[in-house]
Amino acid sequence: MFEGLVALVKGMLTTGREMTSPPVTYQYPEVKKPVPPRFRGRHELKRHENGLEKCIGCSLCAAACPADAIYVVPAANQDNERYSPGERYAATYEINLLRCIFCGFCEEACPTGAIVLEHDYELAYYDRRSAIITKEQLLVAPPKPNMGTPRVMPDPGNLYAAIPPIKGGTEPVNIVEMAKAKQ
Amino acid sequence: MPNVTIDGQTIQVPAGTLVVEAAKPLGVHIPVFCYHPKMQPVGMCRMCLVEVGTPRMDPATKQPVLDENGAPMINWMPKLQAGCATIVSEGMAIRTTTPTVVDARRSVIEFLLTSHPLDCPICDKGGECPLQDHTLHYGPGKSRFYVESKFHNEKSVPLSPLIMLDRERCIQCARCIRFQDEIAGEPVLGFADRGRGLEITTFDDPPFNSNFSGNTIDICPVGALTSRDFRFTARVFELNDHASVCQHCSVGCNINIGERDNTIKRITPRENEAVNEIWLCDKGRFVHHFAHAEERLTTPMIRADTDLKPVSWYEALTFIANRLRPALSEGGAKTIAGLAGDRVSNEDLYLFQKLFREVLGSNNLDHRIGWSQWNAGQELVKNFGAGVGTNLGELGKGTTILVLGADPQNEQPVIRLRLAKAAKQGANLMVANGRVTKLNDSAKQSFVYKYGEEASFLFGILRAFLDGQLEKSERANVDANFALGLNLSVADYAERAGVNADALQQLAANFALSENGIILFGREFMFAMQNEPALEAALNALVVLSGHFGNKNNGVIALYPHNNSMGAFDMGILPNGSAGRNALQDAGMSAKDMLTKAKVLYVMAADPARDDPKFRNPGFMIVQDLFLTETAQKADVVLPAASWAERDGTFTNTERRVQYFQRSLEPMQNARADWEIVQTIAKQLGAQWNYPSASDVMNEITRDVPQYAKMSHERLRVTARRRSSVQTVGGDSAEPVQIALGELFGDMSGVQWATVSETNADAKFEVKFIAPKADGNVAANVPYMAVTRSLLDRGSAIQFSQIVQPRVPNANVEINSHDAEEWNIADGERVKITFEMKPPRVLELNAQVDGTVPQGTIAVANNLQGTENLPMGARVKVTKNV
Ligand code: SF4
Ligand code: SF4
Ligand code: SF4
Ligand code: SF4
Ligand code: FES
Repeated sequence: MFEGLVALVKGMLTTGREMTSPPVTYQYPEVKKPVPPRFRGRHELKRHENGLEKCIGCSLCAAACPADAIYVVPAANQDNERYSPGERYAATYEINLLRCIFCGFCEEACPTGAIVLEHDYELAYYDRRSAIITKEQLLVAPPKPNMGTPRVMPDPGNLYAAIPPIKGGTEPVNIVEMAKAKQ
Repeated sequence: MPNVTIDGQTIQVPAGTLVVEAAKPLGVHIPVFCYHPKMQPVGMCRMCLVEVGTPRMDPATKQPVLDENGAPMINWMPKLQAGCATIVSEGMAIRTTTPTVVDARRSVIEFLLTSHPLDCPICDKGGECPLQDHTLHYGPGKSRFYVESKFHNEKSVPLSPLIMLDRERCIQCARCIRFQDEIAGEPVLGFADRGRGLEITTFDDPPFNSNFSGNTIDICPVGALTSRDFRFTARVFELNDHASVCQHCSVGCNINIGERDNTIKRITPRENEAVNEIWLCDKGRFVHHFAHAEERLTTPMIRADTDLKPVSWYEALTFIANRLRPALSEGGAKTIAGLAGDRVSNEDLYLFQKLFREVLGSNNLDHRIGWSQWNAGQELVKNFGAGVGTNLGELGKGTTILVLGADPQNEQPVIRLRLAKAAKQGANLMVANGRVTKLNDSAKQSFVYKYGEEASFLFGILRAFLDGQLEKSERANVDANFALGLNLSVADYAERAGVNADALQQLAANFALSENGIILFGREFMFAMQNEPALEAALNALVVLSGHFGNKNNGVIALYPHNNSMGAFDMGILPNGSAGRNALQDAGMSAKDMLTKAKVLYVMAADPARDDPKFRNPGFMIVQDLFLTETAQKADVVLPAASWAERDGTFTNTERRVQYFQRSLEPMQNARADWEIVQTIAKQLGAQWNYPSASDVMNEITRDVPQYAKMSHERLRVTARRRSSVQTVGGDSAEPVQIALGELFGDMSGVQWATVSETNADAKFEVKFIAPKADGNVAANVPYMAVTRSLLDRGSAIQFSQIVQPRVPNANVEINSHDAEEWNIADGERVKITFEMKPPRVLELNAQVDGTVPQGTIAVANNLQGTENLPMGARVKVTKNV
């Protein structure tokens, strides 16, 4: 009988301790749980420091995707309508989040670091159609409001390296200037 | 046949084989960039370096010295040799896997990449690029250069309206230049500058204006030359390739339709060594946008009051049946007529004639309208068509090719390439026409006869046959009057035709004595044949008496204008011939008569109203087409047809080769295949037809048309691959990369039907003389106007392809320099051409004074801005426009 009492007291102590410790439950959606830095949530399409889109419409992400969730239709940049460095950009870029298995292969395949699986995990939709997210939804905001795309570049006729040089950071490199400088 | 040892394996190859080619059957891969099996080696890129050695010879015995194991001792050359430029010799030994070779390859790749951009992700060649492939297999794997330290050059340089050049990507292999020089015979590309600055330029004005420019895109081993049509519209690995056949001319080039999202993104050649090898002309490659044009018909329409209004298929079909049934009982079948274009498939044409002959009971059928109105020579083709197995690209020494009244450069472009190739390989190419065409560049002997005197030209040859006793009459029944009819001397006939008599004698001797002989005749000759019955008899006599028929590499080829003109004859779309090319006793109306006499007209894929401005709706007219053509605008019922890319079927090319094409796209909205529409109409009229698919129609054709026996779709889909057994069409679609790599399969597909002279070896053929019409009504000094055709014109399909519009030439009139002097006209001046016809018609064009037309002849291309519907064979007055 004595033993039973000890057990009861032990149990109550545990209960008492848990009652006073801070709660583990997050009051989602009011409170959001921070995710680990390498968490793979919804994709984002990144921009260069000067606001040009990093995505060059190469479809390598689509080719790498095991779930065939990515759809890219490329087009050619124009002098007065430039989206990305180089000659090509993604005119249409869609990801079907119902198909995506968040494996991150697209991120790995991307030659420009344009597509990154970020930390948004709130991926519920009222209909299947809206689970297909478009380029506008994926693209991050430009660093400054006047740096959006498409835009007219100051040096028409010049081309930028589609894939920024390894050493040169993330600023698109004007390869024609570069060639001239060398000569 | 030397024996060579490559990496320890021994093989016997024909003398003259290059090391790279000798290695292929052994499965030894020697990478190349500048070498291409279709062109002469130049040894420019050094990618193919291998170790080569020859057996050590004992000077005394002239025998190879053997080592202690009894194997011949090899003298290895001190330096690596270019495998693409080294011809094998007896006992030669080759090593392709030694460290020296591996190192050399690695260095060549590294060297190329020092000035190559990091563009693969945005490069249209990426995915089918030999440089990518070779870098992966043989490259260093790691770069010693930063992107900044690479050499950069101009990008996005428009080389022509069709082709974009990226100077950074060019690896200076000269394949494009050599293609233009050696194969297209239009040397318009070249290198400028030196070293790293070396760049491809075009000397041409307008730039890179070649009928075959698109082929440089395929053979460029990198993405330096890209198609401006396909540029940045998809990655090549995203395309679905569908095996199809070009439908723009009668060559029937094999193509791959690269489709994505139910849209044609590009057209690339599919190898068929018997038809187009690996080439296409620019029309076949770039003119495909019509398949997706907004203007396509998407719903049936019937005329209500004055306007055409969209209706359902059910309504349209009931409407047709309700109108046809009474018309059938009242006017009878005599007034119902059918006009079918010769661009639709054999299945469509077969059911169309079956509908008329069996359901409607009428022989009023024809396809000879528009460019096809001169289609002739059907008996010649039936009896003496070039024998089964004839391959124009393989002809060489011992074959004489006579081309009469044709302009293949513009009308059957790839045939021109193949004839030029045959001439290069030693075939005796002789060209005769009323003017000079591009083909004359390759000819061993050229004749420019007077238009209208074609018969004298042939009579001259025949007279020379008789004089020299050159004729072979084993299979001929020569009419007694034949020799009597040819009552002039060769010299007289030559004078009439306006050609050199000795040259004509020589032509006759060459043709008669040649081992093989082929005669090709084109549109201009067929036009003459229709005006002059003597001509067909004379051509018949020429073939029979030369004995050049009934076997491979002998016979005639009629160069028809459209992709299935041959099929239209085979399927009996003729008032006087049924399917299987049988003559009909009770002939119906021809196309010309229909336009005036028919009361009910069913038009499938033809546009008589465009071809003849006087055309009226005869009373009740059904039109089935892709577009609301001028004829369709006048119709009572318009039915939307599916384009060739939206259904499957077969076309028969000008060499009688029946070829199967796959369906590449979903049909546009309500559009249906032509055969399907014909079938539904027949069913509405009570016929018990049941063809669930095009191959069921073809199965019936195999039973009904003796020439097509055994030509089921299954059989036509088989392609013979010299290097890897048997495949089916569409079974493997890696062609673009194989063409770029220069690793061809030697594919052939399609089946030629056998002619009467082949199937019946005992058949004898009549040789008759028909006296030519006296041509008294033509004053000799009135200029003759030759109507020519340019590759790209204002045709209904071409107008939807914006990309080729800059390449559609401006109309001008070609005038001989003597005439120009006489008429006081300078090059580029505006001239007025007045037709001697009623009502009078006047053309105003710029003069182009050059040597392509003889004195007394002018040439104008039809169907360009301002030159629509030119009459063939017109006599004109030319004056300076002041
Ligand atoms: S996200 Fe990256 S991989 Fe995908 S298309 Fe854009 S650049 Fe290419
Ligand atoms: S040519 Fe080939 S290697 Fe060069 S960028 Fe294009 S795909 Fe890459
Ligand atoms: S453009 Fe292409 S085919 Fe022509 S030289 Fe350069 S790499 Fe060769
Ligand atoms: S030659 Fe004729 S069949 Fe060949 S691609 Fe050109 S148009 Fe088409
Ligand atoms: S040198 Fe042989 S392939 Fe270029």
